[in-house]
Amino acid sequence: MQLTPANRTSSLRGRLGAAACLLLTAGLPSMAQGESGATTQFDATALLYGERNRANVAEPTARIARRFADGQSLSAQFGFDVITGASPSGASPSGVAQTTTSASGTVTTIPAGQIPLNSFKDSRYAADLEWQKPFLRSFLSTIGGHVSREKDYQSLGANGKLSVDLLQRRTTLTVGGGVNRDRVFPVGGIPVGLSDGSTPAGSSALSKDVSTVMLGLSQVVTRRWLVGLNATRTFERGYLSEPYKVLSVLDGTTGLPSGQWMEKRPSTRERWSVLASSVYHLTDDVLSLSYRYYRDDWRVRSHTCDARYRRELGGDRYLEPHLRYYSQSAASFFRTGLLDGAPLPEFATADYRLGGLKSVTVGATYGFRISDRPGEWTVRAEYIGQFGNGHPGATVGIQRQFDLFPTVSIGSLLVGYSVEF
Amino acid sequence: MSATRQAARRPDATAASLEPIEDYFVGRFVAMASPCELLVDTDDRASAAALLRTAEREARRIEHKFSRYRPGNLVHRINHSGGRPVRVDKETALLLDYAATCHEVSDGMFDITSGALRRVWKFDGGDRVPSQAQVQEALQHVGWHRVTWADSTLTLPAAMEIDLGGVGKEYAVDHTAVLLAGQTRDAFLVNFGGDLFASGARRGGRHWGVGLDDPERTGEAVLYRIEFARGGLATSGDARRFIRHEGRRLGHILNPKTGWPVKDAPRSVTVLDRTCLQAGSLSTIAYLQGPGAREFLEQQGVEFRIV
Repeated sequence: MQLTPANRTSSLRGRLGAAACLLLTAGLPSMAQGESGATTQFDATALLYGERNRANVAEPTARIARRFADGQSLSAQFGFDVITGASPSGASPSGVAQTTTSASGTVTTIPAGQIPLNSFKDSRYAADLEWQKPFLRSFLSTIGGHVSREKDYQSLGANGKLSVDLLQRRTTLTVGGGVNRDRVFPVGGIPVGLSDGSTPAGSSALSKDVSTVMLGLSQVVTRRWLVGLNATRTFERGYLSEPYKVLSVLDGTTGLPSGQWMEKRPSTRERWSVLASSVYHLTDDVLSLSYRYYRDDWRVRSHTCDARYRRELGGDRYLEPHLRYYSQSAASFFRTGLLDGAPLPEFATADYRLGGLKSVTVGATYGFRISDRPGEWTVRAEYIGQFGNGHPGATVGIQRQFDLFPTVSIGSLLVGYSVEF
Repeated sequence: MSATRQAARRPDATAASLEPIEDYFVGRFVAMASPCELLVDTDDRASAAALLRTAEREARRIEHKFSRYRPGNLVHRINHSGGRPVRVDKETALLLDYAATCHEVSDGMFDITSGALRRVWKFDGGDRVPSQAQVQEALQHVGWHRVTWADSTLTLPAAMEIDLGGVGKEYAVDHTAVLLAGQTRDAFLVNFGGDLFASGARRGGRHWGVGLDDPERTGEAVLYRIEFARGGLATSGDARRFIRHEGRRLGHILNPKTGWPVKDAPRSVTVLDRTCLQAGSLSTIAYLQGPGAREFLEQQGVEFRIV
């Protein structure tokens, strides 16, 4: 049975029609989205992140985005974070208590057998701007800028991206790139790598330049299934060491630390990564899976598997459990310490983040709306465990007795609010 | 430190709760105490998601603005004005003008001031009927003719109340459709709790198919299937809210003149017209005619279904 509105019009119906027409057209420009047809979205998040016995981060952010009727959008994000706590200095545990001083001059005493930590307190401000503009029906260009500053680090960046929709919008090809100009100005100046730290600093600040190129392809396989492939190459040049990280000089027989050397990393790093992702829409729920392979010329290789399942609970609520597995091999110049009297290598670091490690993330996001109030809330809680080999084969003497990679437990809680008006 | 920061802040991907069905997208949300749907005839998920955002935002905006249950909004202020004049914005003025037209063309049967009657009638499926004295008392506070409406200023006598529920949802459907039409060329269908607007034929010239529930078995059985390409569709009836009295079922639509539910009214009246507003007003006015509903609609020359 097909229906079409009849042409014959009664006077009653005609009057209703005229009144409806007036209501729907006369009032329109001054209502709803304002005269420009533009909308504004505001997002705010607060993140608390804590590594047990180590670093704690508190980070509120705010983002405001204005979307115009012609599809252009402009967004700005501001963030501020405070990080306090401690991170491993790179030094080896000792059979006796050790005393170290930190960047800010604080003196810390490390109990026997424990991994020495540097304590710190730092805050950072960051701002990002982004402008998106669609053109010629199937193109979308994005340009952005970034600036952030903390006590001993400053970052300035610019990036651009161009996407084109092909094959009836089933395929999207994206090319992009970015450059970053960072400056490192550690407390006490730039230490000379593989020195004992007493050598006067060569300079007070050094730069680090980063350039990135990206190629992406996303494909609608079926109406429910979207897959994507992204390849990224990043090239870094400049001061890539961590100015406060050290290696212990160990006695070749006893394994007892007798001194410390500042770490030294190469001055270039070339990184490659490939990300394959899949998003599958079930009736209400969404399953997202991704795998990332990464390698660099420091010989770090990593694999990341990520799975999320968004379960709609009805009434504008959802729950999204999240599982992630990460595994990384060590950089070629990673070592737990340097042997006293042995020739110095060209590069060396004991930073556990460049060592072999595995990490597992388990978490969930809960999204909801408060009835009769605008906006959507999200609460995300996650546990991250980082595991490594605490008893590597190459250790000497007393070091064999210590757990050189105690498991790192991290908890994070994120509360977000998003509203459009 | 940067690694810590990267680990701490990973972008959280959120997916719109949109579902592809056959060759179109269905977006769903709840607003105005009703399940709401937007059907978009496209293969482009991003475009459907953008339209869904517009539709949901507009439904919520109108709900916030015109719900009589929301303290602090204009309707609440009018209903608590204690007989003092209240100046309204342009959109509200146009909506009140529309309601005034409905009142006029229906000879006073369509009345947004019937609220006082709802305080004595409880349509909970039970059998409790108010006394005639209670109904007479309530009728003292009913009637658009008691209201002064001029120059964007409404003066509502104390103890009276307005309820824009009878036009608000249909207005939300039409107004959302106007916004969406400015945003896309794809065909779409807006469905807010059974009040619909379709923007035009789907790809390949196909029409939209809409199932009309059997009023006896809401949500279980489809009685009619209506196909149309463009226009507004609305239904008035007692499918969900009614009362039983002397073996008869009385629907929740009240005759503002007698103060009683419409006698011998159809179970449901569905009308298709150019806009959802017109379809909704005609179906309500037809329903208020009781047994005369069919004749009334035949005179109007609209497409309709009466159950």
